[in-house]
Amino acid sequence: MVDPTQAGMVALGAGIAVGLAGIGAGMGEQAIGAAAVGAMAEDEKFFGKGLLMTVIPESIAIFGLVVALILLFVF
Amino acid sequence: MLKPTKMTRVVIAGTKDIMETTISTLHRLNVLHITDYTEESVDFRIGKPLKPASKFSEYLLSLRAISNQLGIMQKEPTSKHGSKELPSQVDEKITTLQKEVSSRTDELRAIEFRIKEKEDLISAVKPFFGLPLALDEYYGYETVKVYPGYIDTDIEPGISKITKNYELFAGEHEKRKIFALFVPKVFEGDVQKLLQEERSYVEIKVPELKGNPPIILDGLTKEVTALRERHAAIKSELDSIKKEYSDFIMAADEYLSIETQKAEAPLRFATSPNAFIIDGWVPSRKYPEIESRLLENTGGMVHLARINEKTDDEDIPIELENPGPAKPFELLINTFATPKYKEIDPAAVVFITFPLFYAIMLGDIGYGIIVAIMALVVKNKFKTGELNALSLILLLSAVLSVVFGFIYGEFFGFPVFNMEEEGEIVHGILGAGPAIAGLHLPIHRFGEVQLLLLITLIIGIVHIFLGLVIGFRNIAVEHDIKHAIFAKGSWMMILIGGVAAISKLMPAMMSKSPVPLSDPILAGGLVLGIIGVMLLIKGEGFISVLELPTLLSNVLSYSRILAIGLSSAGIALAVNTLAMDLFIRPDGVYLGKGILLALAGVVILFIGHLINLLLGILGPGIHSLRLQYVEFFTKFYEGGGKKYAPFGYNRKYTEE
Repeated sequence: MVDPTQAGMVALGAGIAVGLAGIGAGMGEQAIGAAAVGAMAEDEKFFGKGLLMTVIPESIAIFGLVVALILLFVF
Repeated sequence: MLKPTKMTRVVIAGTKDIMETTISTLHRLNVLHITDYTEESVDFRIGKPLKPASKFSEYLLSLRAISNQLGIMQKEPTSKHGSKELPSQVDEKITTLQKEVSSRTDELRAIEFRIKEKEDLISAVKPFFGLPLALDEYYGYETVKVYPGYIDTDIEPGISKITKNYELFAGEHEKRKIFALFVPKVFEGDVQKLLQEERSYVEIKVPELKGNPPIILDGLTKEVTALRERHAAIKSELDSIKKEYSDFIMAADEYLSIETQKAEAPLRFATSPNAFIIDGWVPSRKYPEIESRLLENTGGMVHLARINEKTDDEDIPIELENPGPAKPFELLINTFATPKYKEIDPAAVVFITFPLFYAIMLGDIGYGIIVAIMALVVKNKFKTGELNALSLILLLSAVLSVVFGFIYGEFFGFPVFNMEEEGEIVHGILGAGPAIAGLHLPIHRFGEVQLLLLITLIIGIVHIFLGLVIGFRNIAVEHDIKHAIFAKGSWMMILIGGVAAISKLMPAMMSKSPVPLSDPILAGGLVLGIIGVMLLIKGEGFISVLELPTLLSNVLSYSRILAIGLSSAGIALAVNTLAMDLFIRPDGVYLGKGILLALAGVVILFIGHLINLLLGILGPGIHSLRLQYVEFFTKFYEGGGKKYAPFGYNRKYTEE
């Protein structure tokens, strides 16, 4: 267990994990999202594939979220 | 299930006089996937289209043009046309339609052009409202030059320096100063220079019209109104034509498409001066039907042969074959890629895993019920096609979400069963939770993060292992067992070995106790993993070591099942807490702060849950699909098969 006086640090760590991971995922998604919209402008059938490609970097955000969850609930 | 439909290669040969009968029989059966004949030789050439082909396609062209002009949309058929009556009507009706529609659309376009013209004139006339002259007073002079325009500064001093012989009118239009300057043509150059030096000067053109601006404007406006009325009248005439003929147009379109398809079929055959040969594929179970029908209709004049010689698997068309409930999931497979003939068709696996992942993520009774209702509405609206398949997938997922909602004890984020939170009992809607098979409900998501995280990772390991097993089978069938062991067996060993080792290592590291190297599970896992890595390097080269970490990230990726669910449940909880504790039931008293604030609370509840519901359809759907595509399919799926496209037509608006 974490020392009660350090509990705030755990919360901070969780916040940083989610926040930075989110920024990273966003940076990845911006390029893919732009390309996906471009592809869709050419052919609307790319909607499904584009949407799927766009969420691929979302893993990074989810890893951050998982780290935060482990910090908050497991430790 | 799991394997694409078995196909048989058929070659059909006959004399040219029965070609038409053969074509229409095959077209009606709608089972033969024709392989186009491409290599011309001395004896056999690509066939020529039947006679009516050009006529039919001409009709089709004009019909499509008409339907475009009328803006006819595809819709579900109200009644079916018999194809007996259509041929006699097509010629006459299309000619009349063409006359009626094209004359009207031409007129519409002309009217639109004139309206535009008049409107341009109107906007050109308007500025002259600010000046006290009739329009014909601005032009037609031989020795006088006229400058009408906008200007902000006073130009009179400048002009009077050039000449005293001028006339200047000034006024205002829409808060901008407007002027008209009349000077003798001899001073044209100087005045031009003066004006150009003024930055605020903007020239305006005088429309060549006669009379006072207000009167002209009045006349123009009346003309535009009249034109618009005519426009609307023609539009409504076109609408009534559209209403009357839209059924016919769609039926005729279908009839003509079918006839064109039939007439152009010989382009895919090999023909000699007197005979033809059709090469193609039929689902094996349908071969007897095609044989008996063809022989019957042609009086035994046609010859069919089943070809058993080995062909390239790539030439075989793929039709996925799955039992009813799993059928809609073929959509998800085909969106990714069509499998090859000898590959496993994973639709049946996705049928189980997709709704399961979706439900574990969404897991709320209320949301599940609403999504199910939405899916039912879409399903009833679209009886066929992709949207129908999608709605069935969603329906199944939603029903399963309700089940998981019970397990988690969540109804729009409210607790369904009593549960303990930080030592206090939170009362649920249904009171104490039941115990099913030793499992005491609810297993609340916020309370059991550790357990659920472990479960999702186990799901991931099992799912990936299943993918590797299928990949093993695919490679064993396509190449041999040895290849399969190097390419997939090695990964299985690494996965199992890694899992065994980590399951022992992690607890030891967490509790800071010495690593129990003598533990048989840890040692066995390590050995298995190392053997796997060695096999992998031998099979795929040293570079494959770089791929090892992807296995870890693949497994961790399944933690999204928990993460997405927690975020959805978290939003629901936040909305509920906000609305209930602050507005509807402050300090534990219902309507404690008056009815208006309580109503605001209801609005917050509604909007919050609506947003969460939309996210709840999109998030779990996409992420569940992603786990299939990225984590699962990459372990075995190559794809690249040719889709089975039988020669025929699914009639919608006509019947035979």
